[in-house]
Amino acid sequence: MRISFIVNGKSVELDVSPKKRLLDILHDDLDLISVKEGCGKGECGACAVIFNGERVNSCLIPAFQTDGSEVITLEGLKELPGYAAIERAYVEHGAVQCGFCLSGFVVSTVAFLKEKKSPADEEEIKEKLAGNLCRCTGYTKIIEAVKDLSLQEDLRRQPEAEVSHYVKK
Amino acid sequence: MSKNNTVFRPRDLKELDRIIEQNVPPFTFVAGATDLMVQTERWRAAANLIDLTSVSELHETLGVKDSSVRIGAAVPYSRIIKNSVVRELLPILVEACRQIGSVQIQNRGTLGGNIANASPAGDSLPVLAVLDANIWIGPARNGKFTIKKIDEIMTGPGQTILGEKQYIAFIEIPFHEREGQFWAFRKVGQRSALAISKLNLAVLGWLNDGIVKDIRICSGSVAPQINRHRRTEEILRDKKPDEKLIEQACQMIRREISPISDIRSTEEYRRHTTAEVLRDILYQTFAIYDL
Ligand SMILES: Cc1cc2nc3c(=O)[nH]c(=O)nc-3n(C[C@H](O)[C@H](O)[C@H](O)COP(=O)(O)OP(=O)(O)OC[C@H]3O[C@@H](n4cnc5c(N)ncnc54)[C@H](O)[C@@H]3O)c2cc1C
Ligand code: FES
Ligand code: FES
Repeated sequence: MRISFIVNGKSVELDVSPKKRLLDILHDDLDLISVKEGCGKGECGACAVIFNGERVNSCLIPAFQTDGSEVITLEGLKELPGYAAIERAYVEHGAVQCGFCLSGFVVSTVAFLKEKKSPADEEEIKEKLAGNLCRCTGYTKIIEAVKDLSLQEDLRRQPEAEVSHYVKK
Repeated sequence: MSKNNTVFRPRDLKELDRIIEQNVPPFTFVAGATDLMVQTERWRAAANLIDLTSVSELHETLGVKDSSVRIGAAVPYSRIIKNSVVRELLPILVEACRQIGSVQIQNRGTLGGNIANASPAGDSLPVLAVLDANIWIGPARNGKFTIKKIDEIMTGPGQTILGEKQYIAFIEIPFHEREGQFWAFRKVGQRSALAISKLNLAVLGWLNDGIVKDIRICSGSVAPQINRHRRTEEILRDKKPDEKLIEQACQMIRREISPISDIRSTEEYRRHTTAEVLRDILYQTFAIYDL
């Protein structure tokens, strides 16, 4: 079937099988290689993207539901003014080792911060980031990085929906 | 393109019902796809896909109507969690939704999918049971939906009473007396956020002058179906809860459970754990009321 949707602010049209996973469309057809396959079962978050304004696991989105949607991947989030700060926090806290989980964590971090009106505590970060798995770091450093980031008001107020706006410019 | 790949994306209930009327089953209704797409074999074979997230009434309905809260079957959990009316009136439902999967799953998964998937581990099911929810099943005939209770829908693991052309349209939850209300939802699983729960327990009740006016207890995943524990409820009803009474209730729930597994150790574990969880809930609940 023919689907058309917006990825990181750009319109794309593709012929795909209706059951094809959004993960495969992004990674294979559109070369957005930040979107990774870990488990393929919705458990690890390595394939997380922003879909119609909400973070989802793209391995569990069928192509036919993608038609008419708006998708933002890490490649798009990199255009956000606050992106550098997020990447820096992860690196400075030693929250990155092999890096496989990183794009998913960053997508979840941006989506999490967007909804925060005040700094986050550890329990809350654990709950809201539970859908992202990391085999290397043991989470403590990731939680510290996110806690630190949540102290910055300008990051909390940064709606990822504005990404399309930045990308288009 | 093979017939297998036919996809319908109806915009409203009228269009949905027309598609069902004019096409030959089997259909595969698709909401958040969080169960469907991990059931690889079934997903591969699924034919005549009908998207329910495109149906505005099923995807948008969320609010108060006729002294009840009405929720579209294809509304994702995260919208339920964030809805101020539901938070105010149905905190037990919000708690159950918050414990389903992760935020990514909550942004996609739906009550309709949880009910129709009919896993004994479905976390919303015992909660909808104690809330006495009405499940509206479509297509409506002459404007009337078929209405069932949650324990009438599932007939066994993966099995429901839904016909090939039937879908869940709305979940309607009547208002409950707020005065003296207590509630709890607990699940015991391997990994709290992601595990398909091994065991869950929902409790909803009312205290009046230190007496249990009414109480509803329902467990999931310990048996092939969810279980209302009416004899355990009976022990607590119209009594003033104390340690002895709580012990009696815990003894009874052990006897009322018919576990899923025939492996003895697992069976004993489930009985034991359910009783422990109930004890914990009852102690916490009644401590608040200064026993
Ligand atoms: C990583 C992960 C973690 C999970 N954790 C939990 C958990 O903690 N607790 C829990 O209970 N579940 C959990 N689940 C299971 C799943 O997310 C839930 O059961 C969810 O509610 C399914 O909803 P859905 O809209 O995604 O269903 P779908 O996958 O779209 O559909 C599921 C089934 O229901 C049918 N269906 C869907 N909607 C309707 C309808 N309105 N009418 C008729 N049939 C319909 C479909 O045809 C299909 O057979 C988890 C899943 C994953 C992948
Ligand atoms: S690959 Fe999608 S969640 Fe693991
Ligand atoms: S850094 Fe290796 S999986 Fe997270």
